Amino acid sequence: MITKIIHKYLSNEASEQEVQTLFDWIDVSDENKKHFISLKKTWALTTLSEDILINSAPVISIQPKKKVYNFLKYAAVFLVLLGLGKLALNFNQKPKTASKEIVLEWSDGRSEMMSKTKKEILVLNQDRLLVAKKFPNQIIYFGKVQDEKVVYNTLKVPYGKRFKLTLSDGTVVNLNSGTTFRYPEQFGVNGKRNVYLIGEAFFEVAKDKEHPFIVNANQVDVEVLGTKFNISAYPENPSVNSTLVEGSIQMYEVANKQNLVLLQPNQMATWQKNSKKITTKEVDPSFYAAWTKGELAFKDTPFSTIAKIIQRTYDVEIINENSDLAKQNFTGTIKISDSSVENILELLKRDTPFNYAIKQNTITITNPSITK
Amino acid sequence: MNNNNSFELNLFESFKEGDETAFTYFYDKYFRRITAFSFQFIYDHDEAENLAQEALLYLWQNRETIESINGVQSFLYTYAKSKCLNMIRHNKVKDKFKSELLNQKERELDIEILNSVQFDTLELTELERLIQESISDLPPKTREVFIKKRFENKKNAEIAEEMQVTLKAVEAHMTKALKILKTKLSDYLFLIFILICNN
Repeated sequence: MITKIIHKYLSNEASEQEVQTLFDWIDVSDENKKHFISLKKTWALTTLSEDILINSAPVISIQPKKKVYNFLKYAAVFLVLLGLGKLALNFNQKPKTASKEIVLEWSDGRSEMMSKTKKEILVLNQDRLLVAKKFPNQIIYFGKVQDEKVVYNTLKVPYGKRFKLTLSDGTVVNLNSGTTFRYPEQFGVNGKRNVYLIGEAFFEVAKDKEHPFIVNANQVDVEVLGTKFNISAYPENPSVNSTLVEGSIQMYEVANKQNLVLLQPNQMATWQKNSKKITTKEVDPSFYAAWTKGELAFKDTPFSTIAKIIQRTYDVEIINENSDLAKQNFTGTIKISDSSVENILELLKRDTPFNYAIKQNTITITNPSITK
Repeated sequence: MNNNNSFELNLFESFKEGDETAFTYFYDKYFRRITAFSFQFIYDHDEAENLAQEALLYLWQNRETIESINGVQSFLYTYAKSKCLNMIRHNKVKDKFKSELLNQKERELDIEILNSVQFDTLELTELERLIQESISDLPPKTREVFIKKRFENKKNAEIAEEMQVTLKAVEAHMTKALKILKTKLSDYLFLIFILICNN
């Protein structure tokens, strides 16, 4: 296959034999040559996008006018679809490996699935003192330890699940789907309160001026004194976003602490993984915290972003082959517990027609079939 | 709204006044881009890095002549382009193949490609936007594969392992990505083609 050879050639993996084949093919016609040249040009020019922005506006906005669509208009439709409950997919039935459970890893290496917790369970330490209370969907930690005794636990929340925990200082952390969070079982009496985040979390940090609270997210840290804010640091996204609801936080790059911004309430800071720059803008923070209330909120959100959110929230995979849809932006709010993926797709379809097929947990979206 | 812009604009002003910290910002931003671009034509990583370094040094020395923020990228790419062309023409690019015919052929093609791209300021900004948009619009998995391949320089096998998919799937995603990008960029590339033919 010539296409395959071209790709190998572009990534410098083609053998001399293959290059020979390719160049012979190029010589066959001007058409072929043009095809090759435009592919190589495309490839070389993609270097213009070392830092790809998804979550923030492009540097220069010359967007064509886009339709804005409001789900809320279709609230009634929603109910009807829900009435046809059979339509809703049961994604829980798919054959799956272990990682579909919320897993808590203790500092000693033991790990356990949180869903196995039936009701309230008390966790005591060697001195018979209370360390934590476990519930099926929540865990609350208590107490402080000497600094040298601080040990870390890790919570892993898979796609399709969310979890809430209260740290030993009283800080409440909501963890979104697809998130790994590492935190001290009990904070030390001195020093800073360090936690580590991959994914997305909403923090309500307990006030404690003596002990700054620091979220380490990718290569940036967010430092707080006592405040409410959201951080989104999914590894597949090229940026880390933090949105402040209340109080004040500062975000800085770990490697270069001069690269710092101080956020006011209602602002969002974005750090780009590639360019390493941090920018801020005014936002409505309730929008970014909607997921903690079990809602998905979109505002002029491109479908590509929506698809990612759906993938995490419902633990499905979406393959979009419809370029019109990819370009479309949507606005609206969805209650997660009331809607299946299918409900959401049906709603989106009313605005931008498309077909979709669901096979196990993979959804393939294609162009609409032509109707008379 | 456009904080990115005002942020960079401030830096650009400081850069023009000779602020080295501001220069460092542009250096970090463009070093990898220019290296990756040049590598496509001179096929040697060290040489490509040297070239990028040179381009950035040249930018620093000529900072007073750069009129706008968009001129930075345009300046760097134009430099890289002409440097690559020079190296090819003066046989400074190492032979990649045993067959001299293949080496020759590749140089001809590369010269043709380089000559067909104009790094005019406005065009470049527009193209950057277009490419970013096109990449963001790729289906998620395809996009992931493309980024790993293109920007993280990973091998297909590595990508397959990281993403827990077959090699075939990685190849299929790459084919798809390039096809989509080519279609999206084709109008633009075609325009350049016409411009050159008319010159």
